Amino acid sequence: MEPLVEHPLLIRDLTKSFGGLRAVEGVNIELCPHHVHSLIGPNGAGKTTVLNCVSGFLRPDTGQVVLGGSEVTRWPPHRLVAAGLVRTFQITTIFAELTVRENVELAVRSRLGRNLDVIHQASRIRQAQDEAEEVLGWLGFLEKASGRGDQLSHGDKRIVEVAIALALNPKVLLLDEPMAGMSRSEAERIAVLVRRIADKTSVVLVEHDTETVLSISDRITVLVQGRVIAHGAPDEISRDAAVRKAYLGALDVE
Amino acid sequence: MVDEIAPAPKSAALSRETASWLLFVLGAAALLTFPLFGAGEFTITLLTEGLILGIWAMSLDLLVGFTGLVTFGHAAGFGLGAYAAGYFAQHVSSEFLLVLAVSETVVASVALVAGFVVSRISGVAFAIVTLAISQVLLQIGVAWLSVTGGMDGLIGVPLPKLFGVTVESGKSLYLMVAVILVLVYLALLRLTNSPFGRTLQAIRLSEQRAAAIGINVHLHKWLVFVISWLVAGIAGTLLVFMKAGTTPMVFNWYESGYVLAVTIFGGLGTLLGPMIGAIVVTFLHDQVISLFTAWQFVFGLAFVLAVIFFPTGLAGVAIRIWSRWWNTRS
Repeated sequence: MEPLVEHPLLIRDLTKSFGGLRAVEGVNIELCPHHVHSLIGPNGAGKTTVLNCVSGFLRPDTGQVVLGGSEVTRWPPHRLVAAGLVRTFQITTIFAELTVRENVELAVRSRLGRNLDVIHQASRIRQAQDEAEEVLGWLGFLEKASGRGDQLSHGDKRIVEVAIALALNPKVLLLDEPMAGMSRSEAERIAVLVRRIADKTSVVLVEHDTETVLSISDRITVLVQGRVIAHGAPDEISRDAAVRKAYLGALDVE
Repeated sequence: MVDEIAPAPKSAALSRETASWLLFVLGAAALLTFPLFGAGEFTITLLTEGLILGIWAMSLDLLVGFTGLVTFGHAAGFGLGAYAAGYFAQHVSSEFLLVLAVSETVVASVALVAGFVVSRISGVAFAIVTLAISQVLLQIGVAWLSVTGGMDGLIGVPLPKLFGVTVESGKSLYLMVAVILVLVYLALLRLTNSPFGRTLQAIRLSEQRAAAIGINVHLHKWLVFVISWLVAGIAGTLLVFMKAGTTPMVFNWYESGYVLAVTIFGGLGTLLGPMIGAIVVTFLHDQVISLFTAWQFVFGLAFVLAVIFFPTGLAGVAIRIWSRWWNTRS
């Protein structure tokens, strides 16, 4: 079965159990280039488990992860990052003691293969500085670049989380609830950003906010209790009876 | 960490860096010329011991302060270096550079194996497994009579030679230790400011985050473990020459706890702090023990008070004074 388009990321029959609990069961996702492909579902549907299995933080029981045509199932996170598969975290995990710029430079140096360099001064690597500057400039974040990680607002931390990921030049970017805990206006800022990111790369988005998801996604996969109950374009999903029944009840209100 | 207090203009920041270097040069010069100022034999010996402890504490700072890996078994690399060096000096040659090469080879071999295992764990498990490793070495030290001399340990290790010339105990040995201390400090300073050093700090802040930016966490923990043991092995090598021997008690958990306390007392993640802490504690030990036999009680109390009132250690206090002075000055 040859795919018609070259998929940056394919997830095939992914299954993961924790003890007796089947957290993820036979999940398939085909990510198309420059798409925002959202993964939605109620709490405990297995969205983050899928993300963890794909990004190497959990080992799936069965199934395959194919990145740009090569199989990368069960690769450790650092190898996946080197191969172009990058993720963000639901809980903000930027380095609090470092400045924004240092956070991003750390990621750039890592991508440039400088992690084992013991000779040079980390803070004086020109290429890392320039590329960090470029990423922060692209995000319109240069003004706050000298602030320490722990002195930023929650919304700004989420942006830095994205900046770190972008600094790794992802071919596929997995965003785990980038809008979690944000105000309406902050969430909109991220929504616009996600669309812009999709021009550069391909995005898998896990998000709770269904309204935003419907407006910014190219494809949506709906998970309920670890299984895919629907997938398709946003308008198909919002019309899907099973999805409405299981999950999108909130949309009836509108 | 200092910069957050007052973001100084670029030129001031530069001269401040120059000032820090000047301070370092003065400190190093004072350290190296110390015996010329008529210090007694006893003081010199005490200071030599303090500097050896300082090298050992800096090696631990690399693990605990920079990488966030707390260990209760850091006597392992130290003791291994001491035994390997002492045995080689007794049986083959006491030519210092040769002895050091041999002891470091032994330390590296064991550290590569032990580090491969412990690089996969963190937190309490890391602390306890490294403790177990040092206790295993202690048992080997006691049991392998023909090589280690059992409970008596190695006795009568000759003085080291440097290119055929014997390094006499006292001033000469002190000078050798001081030079090595300065070199080790400079090397570790370079290492911790390098991209590799920054990945260690990233691992300390969050292993998961570090992995997600493409850092091979296992590999980096493994490497820093080996480097840390190698530096501890240098300290052990110097100790066995200074004491003309060692016993298996060098591996004891008490020693690991002592160097950990000294490192925390000096200031984690600062290199200079643990080194100065080591000198301070060594002299404190000498002063207290002549007045009062319950040295451990005093040290324990001082340690607890220090951690409560100066959680950043001696280095933290020093940096604060230095920055304040610098800021009021300019």
